[in-house]
Amino acid sequence: MEVSLSGPKVIVTKLKDSKVKRLGFSAPGFGYSGSNFVDLRRKCRVNWVGLKAIRAQVAVEKNNAPFRKEKVQSQTPVELLVGLPLDTVSKSNTINHEKAISAGLRALKLLGAYGVELPVFWAVVQPNSPHEFDWSAYLAVADMARCAGLRLRVSLNLNGCHRPNVMLPGWVLQAAETDPDILFKDKSGALHKDCLSFAVDELPVLQGRKPVDVFESLFRSFSSTFKDYFGSTITEITVSLGANGELRYPSFPPTTDSEFTSVGEFQCYDKYTLSQLKQAAESAGNPLWGLGGPHDASKYDESPNNSNFFKDHGGSWNTPYGNFFLSWYSQQLLHHGDRLLSIASNVFGDLPVQLSAKVPLLHHWHEMSSRPAELTAGFYNSAERDGYDAVTEMFAKYNCMMIIPGMDELGSNPESLLHQIKQACEKHGVQVSGENSALVKQGTDNFGKIKENVQAGLKTFTYQRMGADFFSPEHWPLFREFVRGMERSQLDADDLPEGNGGGVSLSADSEAGNNREMQAA
Amino acid sequence: MSIVRWKPLIHQLPLVRNPSLSLREQPKRYIRCCPKNPSPSSSAGFVLGSKPDSGRNLRPIVEAKAAQSPPLSQETDLISSEQFTVNRIKKTYGKVSVKLERRCGYEARWMLEVSCDLVGKWILHWGVSYCDNQAEWDQPPPEMIPPGSTVIKDYAIESPLNARSEGQSESAVQIEIDGDTPIGAINFVLKEEETGRWYHNKGRDFRVPLRGSSEDEITLSMKQSVSIWPEAFDQISNMLRKHEESDPAPAPILEDNSDTSSKKPIIAFHEDYTVIKEEPVQNSMTVTVRKSDKSSDKNIVDVDTDIPGHVVLHWGVYMNESKNWHVPPPPYPPATKVLRKSALQTLLEKKSLGLGNRGSFALNKEVKGLVFVLKLDEYTWVNNMGKDFVVPIENSTSGNEEKIEEKPGTVSSTDKSVDTNAAPYTENLISGIRNLVDDISSHKNKAQKTNEEQDNILHEIEKLVVEAYRIFKNSSVVEKPDKSVDDTSKTPTQLVVSSGTGNGHEILCQGFNWESHKSGRWYHELGEKAKLLAELGFSIVWLPPPTESVSPEGYMPTDLYNLNSKYGNIEELKDIVHKFREVGIKVLGDVVLNHRCATSCSENGIWNIFGGRLNWDARAIVADDPHFQGKGNKSSGDNFHAAPNIDHSQEFVRTDIKEWLCYLRKEVGYDGWRLDFVRGFWGGYVKDYLEASQPYFAVGEYWDSLSYTYGEMDYNQNAHRQRIIDWINATNGTAGAFDVTTKGILHSVLERCEYWRLSDEKAKPPGVLGWWPSRAVTFIENHDTGSTQGHWRFPAGKEMQGYAYILTHPGTPSVFFDHVFCFQEEIRRLISLRLRKKIHCRSTVKILKAEKDVYAAEIDGKVAMKIGPGFYEPERGPKNWTVAAEGADYKVWEAS
Repeated sequence: MEVSLSGPKVIVTKLKDSKVKRLGFSAPGFGYSGSNFVDLRRKCRVNWVGLKAIRAQVAVEKNNAPFRKEKVQSQTPVELLVGLPLDTVSKSNTINHEKAISAGLRALKLLGAYGVELPVFWAVVQPNSPHEFDWSAYLAVADMARCAGLRLRVSLNLNGCHRPNVMLPGWVLQAAETDPDILFKDKSGALHKDCLSFAVDELPVLQGRKPVDVFESLFRSFSSTFKDYFGSTITEITVSLGANGELRYPSFPPTTDSEFTSVGEFQCYDKYTLSQLKQAAESAGNPLWGLGGPHDASKYDESPNNSNFFKDHGGSWNTPYGNFFLSWYSQQLLHHGDRLLSIASNVFGDLPVQLSAKVPLLHHWHEMSSRPAELTAGFYNSAERDGYDAVTEMFAKYNCMMIIPGMDELGSNPESLLHQIKQACEKHGVQVSGENSALVKQGTDNFGKIKENVQAGLKTFTYQRMGADFFSPEHWPLFREFVRGMERSQLDADDLPEGNGGGVSLSADSEAGNNREMQAA
Repeated sequence: MSIVRWKPLIHQLPLVRNPSLSLREQPKRYIRCCPKNPSPSSSAGFVLGSKPDSGRNLRPIVEAKAAQSPPLSQETDLISSEQFTVNRIKKTYGKVSVKLERRCGYEARWMLEVSCDLVGKWILHWGVSYCDNQAEWDQPPPEMIPPGSTVIKDYAIESPLNARSEGQSESAVQIEIDGDTPIGAINFVLKEEETGRWYHNKGRDFRVPLRGSSEDEITLSMKQSVSIWPEAFDQISNMLRKHEESDPAPAPILEDNSDTSSKKPIIAFHEDYTVIKEEPVQNSMTVTVRKSDKSSDKNIVDVDTDIPGHVVLHWGVYMNESKNWHVPPPPYPPATKVLRKSALQTLLEKKSLGLGNRGSFALNKEVKGLVFVLKLDEYTWVNNMGKDFVVPIENSTSGNEEKIEEKPGTVSSTDKSVDTNAAPYTENLISGIRNLVDDISSHKNKAQKTNEEQDNILHEIEKLVVEAYRIFKNSSVVEKPDKSVDDTSKTPTQLVVSSGTGNGHEILCQGFNWESHKSGRWYHELGEKAKLLAELGFSIVWLPPPTESVSPEGYMPTDLYNLNSKYGNIEELKDIVHKFREVGIKVLGDVVLNHRCATSCSENGIWNIFGGRLNWDARAIVADDPHFQGKGNKSSGDNFHAAPNIDHSQEFVRTDIKEWLCYLRKEVGYDGWRLDFVRGFWGGYVKDYLEASQPYFAVGEYWDSLSYTYGEMDYNQNAHRQRIIDWINATNGTAGAFDVTTKGILHSVLERCEYWRLSDEKAKPPGVLGWWPSRAVTFIENHDTGSTQGHWRFPAGKEMQGYAYILTHPGTPSVFFDHVFCFQEEIRRLISLRLRKKIHCRSTVKILKAEKDVYAAEIDGKVAMKIGPGFYEPERGPKNWTVAAEGADYKVWEAS
């Protein structure tokens, strides 16, 4: 392990990942008394939530290797999953590239992967009506995973997706033809065909049924169809809480998807959302606020600096109106999330599976005080307000694990946002899993970043995603080495004799601990 | 049989007397616990050290499995006893003797005798060749066929070997040969009828040259050995292939003076081949662990097996769950060697009457288990399904263990009690096994693997990944076939991406035949036809091998950088490449990478010193090419016996070859390669070469035999095409390969009027083009199969049916030079249709009819075709079909 000290701050430059976790344990000078140390170690193995108090104390330091402390948790090896192709099951409910997937599964198993993630789409399962379900192809995939000896995380996507072009089920879109307002609508009136408006969750808009009821029956159907797989093969169910399978508004333009990196727009212009806004404004005693979204927000692609709403200084986000609107807007998202998690935990609660949901890592524009990309997506997070506290609290309420994508993103924005979300998770005792945002390319250090994040303590990590590019000669060797590197580091740690980890570097580490304490003080 | 791991089952049954259990299924397990006299000492921990072993300690408990009958005893402090099934290969060495001699008393009568001294029902599967071509099998004249033979179609005879005399294991068959016979050689393989196994001569036919013919002489003058079991034990048998003593070198050559014809006289021949018959044999091995009666801190391990001969126990112990091998502290049992501080080797003691071997030794109690494998001889190791044998030793019972007087044979008593007690515990046991399996696999994912295992796994992973990549890549093309076609034809950038496979619309012409070298000015002559070929629609021409060569045709290259050949000199070569380029035809160079002829002898008279710019020596030759005393590594493929096979695993060889290919690309201007005899070396090297030389198009010649049963071609040729696909895979798809499968199937189809063969079990084309069309280069003839060599000639008169098939189907079709001129107009029509309708290497085929006498298919919905005498017309429907080409038993329509 190489540790370099510079000035009062400690920068952990290159954590020779192998020894880190052991170091965390074995450094008696970590700032605690010896007895505390032993205690810490024992608890860590049991569950890291129990460490809250101690950790909170340590994790004060923000910018220097913010997750340094969490390395303590990674006692159990992180479970590595790989996402199956989004088009694993076609719209006509057949398995695409079955042979390739089956070969891929075997390769992953041999490489030591824990499992795979299977994206399930509403439109595939219920193409024709709210009463029929067709799980056949997904069942076949589950079988393949079982045969390969891999675990399965099933993502139930209640939204659509642009690539592959799977939108909402046909009968839902038909309903939307008669009543377009059941879909999200932006300021210019463009519809999001991939996501139902949160405002209709409890309105009988789908052939007389409420979306929440439809979702519930979908969950129940899944639960009964796959009952033989729970616990053994299916170990995790991820529920989509909004657009793009994440807890968020579809703040991106209706024609693109998550790769959109601009600020985006508020999505509150369907008549149902507008009427709820109106009500909220009236009860807040300011009916004029309820006529629409912020008039001075920027367009999808515009720079937020030029908009009156988002600008850092004197932007209308930081006014009573801004506060009203953003609070209401983010509450709607939370309510929607709460409704779905409540259904999900109700249906899946007794199964031997982990419930999880995804929260986006909207780090673009995170350096602005208004955090505009997060605001439009529904996170009322700003320099002055922690938008993730309430979110995490909701996850904790349903014992839902949080999946955060973007573990591969380099730079200070992703790092500090990730840190913020993780801190909230820690506070509420929510387990965190990770995903990457894109396949890692040659000549980049994204795998290094993933490794760092993984070792900072994730429950599972899902690498997205299998496909031709994933297995291509340009990519596969990188991935293989990444996995093997992880494997080695875990082993090395195991092989290290107990209180003997790292010899020389031990003192450096304890110094780091001391330093940190001083800073914290 | 899987590893049996000890679980402290005893804990679950503390109150049961003789709580032993066993499963009838494997793994067998005998457990015994005697809770009679608790021994306090055993709970006191384990003390290292040794007390003098008594003789009794060394006495095995179990004499032999069959002898497990002593009285039931409550006293043995048996900790565990496990029985492993040991699968090993029993080898019997034998001799196949081939003798060609003049018959006593007859001047012009000869006798070929093939004998085998191994027990078995041997069948000689043989044929003759009338010319020197080794590949050919023909029917011998009837008078040659020994009685009791079966005629297998028109090319082979099966003659049984008969015991020489009653009760003798040696059997033989005699074939009488007339001294004037035109037969050039007799080819055979042997079959053992009971097991159905075939004996080849290192994967090739045995061959008896009657007149000491050409290249193979060398092969047969060497001592050969043969493996009987090529399937699973190739590796073992390779190791075992020792060049055994047997008879002195070739028998003296006798001249046949009486033969006055111009033919060479028959030459006597005598050759012995070592045969190794490998049979799986199941033995068992019992490992018993019991407490030492002398020393409370020791356990005694008894090993007992019924494997005969020398058995060396190669063992170690482990102290913790990681199961790493450790050497226990001394003392060691007698006849023990310490091997590199990592293992012990103990020669087991022979039991009386040759019933097996046994051993016994003391271990300290802190040892958590014993790991071992068995060594039977220098080359034979026995393990437990690829893993070590593991015998965990549980000391956890110490609390209620007892002191006992051990008596031999308690195991069997346990065995008895098991039968009555087993049932209730079976469930526990099964779950124990299940846990165990989980344990094993989880260990697998950790790092208990040896490097070698890990390499194997990595290799397997890479194979799977290449497969997954290929299918993903192809299936994404399949999803939108039309679009991808347009893409490829419109955007030139995409052409660069798929290196080695052209643009998908290529049509190849083989620009020479076996006689082309004769004029000495082929480049010039072919150059004159460049315009014609372009006008016919060819986009690629394949030129003959350009280098200096021992044989005039160019396939025995010597100095790779000397580009003056019988076809013309380097200037003429550059000139013709330029000419083709001018008319828009790309040019493939025929590169021979598998072998290279030496230009001089080494000191000991072996031709293995190369001349020219690449002055390699024996290090560049594969080690298993016996004739050239190569000093390189073993070949990564099959050997071509007439010339030294190049060892591509050598870095310097690869560097030189890459440099050479780049030189050819640059200097001559070749656009790509036709790779000769790629069976001879691993496809992964080809990938290297292609990545270095970046050809526009590359195609490899991977030619081996299709599957036949009793002389009739099998319908399912998946194994054959899989071998070709495997090779393409190994090149990572950088090269295509000649679709030998399709050619072979067309032979049967046309010769026997069996058009049903043209649809495989999934209603797809049965050749490589059905599985990986974009890498299949379809052809019906080349300079080897046809021309004046005729090694495997396409059914005469039916060539156009063949072309009607390949020129309308996906894959990249290749037309043989001779045919371009024999069938010029018909081929012109087919090519122009292919181009007009934009049929390409990934077009989709819908097979409409595959019946006895007719095959019909629709390609991309734009072209319909039929071959065969039977009737087919495309349906009159929405599409308007018009006849585009027509000839003997074929018809092609296009949709307008």
